[in-house]
Amino acid sequence: MSGESAIRLTGVGKRYTKYEDAPALVNTTRQLLKGHHRSHLWALRGIDLDVNPGQCLGVIGRNGSGKSTLLQLLCGVTAPTEGRVRVQGRVAPLISVGVGFHPELTGRENIYVNAAILGLRRQEIDRKVDDIVDFAGIADFIDTPVKFYSSGMFVRLGFSVAIQVEPEVLLVDEVLAVGDLAFQMKCFERMRAIREQGVTIAFVTHNLTIVRNLCDRVVVLEAGNKAFEGAPDAAVTRFHELLAEVREPEGSDIGWAVHKGGIASIQVEGLYDEGGRTQSLRAEADVVARLVVNAVAEVRDAYVGVAVHAADGTLVYSEPDLATTLPALAPDGTLSIDVRLRPTLPTGTYSLSAGLYQRPTGPGKAIQLAVAPAVSFHVIGRPMVQGTADLGASFEVVGTVTDDGQSTSVR
Amino acid sequence: MSVVLDLDGPRTTTRRLAQQAWNARELIAILARREFFARYRRATLGVIWAIALPLLQAIVLAVIFTRVARLPLPGNAFVFVFSGMAAWAFFSAALSAASTSIVDNSQLSSKIYFPRAALPLVAVASNAFVAVVNVIIVLIAVYASGVDPTANVLLLAPGMVLLFALTAVTSALFAALHVYFRDVRYLVQAGLLLAFYLTPVFYPLSRAPGALDVIVRINPMTGVIELYRAATVGADAHYGIAVAISIAWTLVIGVAAVRMYARFDRVFADLL
Repeated sequence: MSGESAIRLTGVGKRYTKYEDAPALVNTTRQLLKGHHRSHLWALRGIDLDVNPGQCLGVIGRNGSGKSTLLQLLCGVTAPTEGRVRVQGRVAPLISVGVGFHPELTGRENIYVNAAILGLRRQEIDRKVDDIVDFAGIADFIDTPVKFYSSGMFVRLGFSVAIQVEPEVLLVDEVLAVGDLAFQMKCFERMRAIREQGVTIAFVTHNLTIVRNLCDRVVVLEAGNKAFEGAPDAAVTRFHELLAEVREPEGSDIGWAVHKGGIASIQVEGLYDEGGRTQSLRAEADVVARLVVNAVAEVRDAYVGVAVHAADGTLVYSEPDLATTLPALAPDGTLSIDVRLRPTLPTGTYSLSAGLYQRPTGPGKAIQLAVAPAVSFHVIGRPMVQGTADLGASFEVVGTVTDDGQSTSVR
Repeated sequence: MSVVLDLDGPRTTTRRLAQQAWNARELIAILARREFFARYRRATLGVIWAIALPLLQAIVLAVIFTRVARLPLPGNAFVFVFSGMAAWAFFSAALSAASTSIVDNSQLSSKIYFPRAALPLVAVASNAFVAVVNVIIVLIAVYASGVDPTANVLLLAPGMVLLFALTAVTSALFAALHVYFRDVRYLVQAGLLLAFYLTPVFYPLSRAPGALDVIVRINPMTGVIELYRAATVGADAHYGIAVAISIAWTLVIGVAAVRMYARFDRVFADLL
């Protein structure tokens, strides 16, 4: 076995025993009488992994896919049921920061406790305590019991301790999702710096932007198995394929969404870019959504509209094409409509749906003839863009402001 | 690349276990300090309570056994009873806190690895201060009672060593069992209640109650208390045997605890 890898997993599996919610004595007796064993659950199975020193590995997957178990195995909290886990170097888990903080103790006292749990010697802590306080930026409160801290301060202190432990292998679990934006940026920069120092990082996250910006290689877990391992972009695409596979029954199986009148139906046939049919879009590239309208009875004066929703159901965008009236359709007539879109959106999962409407003959509202079942897709946004929309900001320094309030142009 | 994690199953070798426990000694000290100071943090009198409570207990016992109930005990009645109480109070407090320690600290131990045995040892260590205070009270009482202290008081040192060792291994064993059988919490409470009367705290070993005599004699705590007695009011004729039995218990429980941790140290987290 070579000593090259910082992290090496060979055929690792982790089995958990499902416990019934009855007293152990009752269960044990029942099992002895019936002679059957407890049911087991493989949280992970057959995982092979090799991470070289200084690499940043991302681990993504749906809830319950085994991400947390993998992280627990890497930091040695639990042992594998089969296979072998090898991690070289000091491991610092950034898993739920501030573990071991005692609310009654001051920030400074808690630094000692937390750092000792992370494996630091007292002398090392003595040397680092000032840096830790400094990085957390809470010097004024360091001798206050941490129960008076805001949740933001709590997290900052916890993160600062973990980051100052100077680990050789850093395990990160969604910690960057907390704290204010300024501190998140600071953490993110620090993670980059740490990576450049040659620290091995394993990252378990739902934040696909971070995965794409920080990771060299990404593993996609699905139901305890490694579904994919490779470049971040490809992994994100694979991840969204997996998400889409699960959504499918809600979407296409329902079939045509027919309006009460039964006049017509509409469907989003698919999304296309230069490479053909796709579900993974880039924020910078146009995409074509192909809509298909099927008439049951005669359809006149109709137009279509599209809508995009974010994963949490927020309407991101909708626009009807009032300018174009569709050609009249005879019963059983079919029409194909291409809608060109530029998905300038942050990284995330969205869904696209379309509607078929009929213009009112006189004054009044349009009639909705049919709504297409939503089709989900994923957008790989521009790096670092977060929020609900990508407004494409461009930054320019135009001048300096002197002491007397005058501004002078740089150019 | 100094520290290497290499796991191919839940079992840990005894040697590695010992090495990890040794490496965790500073962690144990820091966590024990945390426990100790956090306990008194909100109280106005603070750490003074750590001395005041054992002192109060000693005064109450002194009044009861020298003024109210005059039992025919060898030597000074208060010194006799308190030298037993000093050892028992620590054993009882430390064991009941330690036996649930791994489960109580689950938010810690399910997130990060450190030798799990550290947790019961922390509970024992954070109670050690009270044990020391108690021994000091015993020493003061010996001198104050007007008895000529002999070189026997030095026996308090091996007495404390045996007390700490026995408490530590018992705590570690019960803490591990409690992860699997959550009844241990209640069994320990019930057991301590019963064991108090089966330990010669306020009666001499020679006058152990009839049928229970054997149980009192093989009680692991008896030897510890007899050592304390030998240091203060004078030894029972058979105290050597009691001490030997206590040492034997410590070794047996110690081996059982090490085997438990070697098997389960790395999978406790699965059940937390």
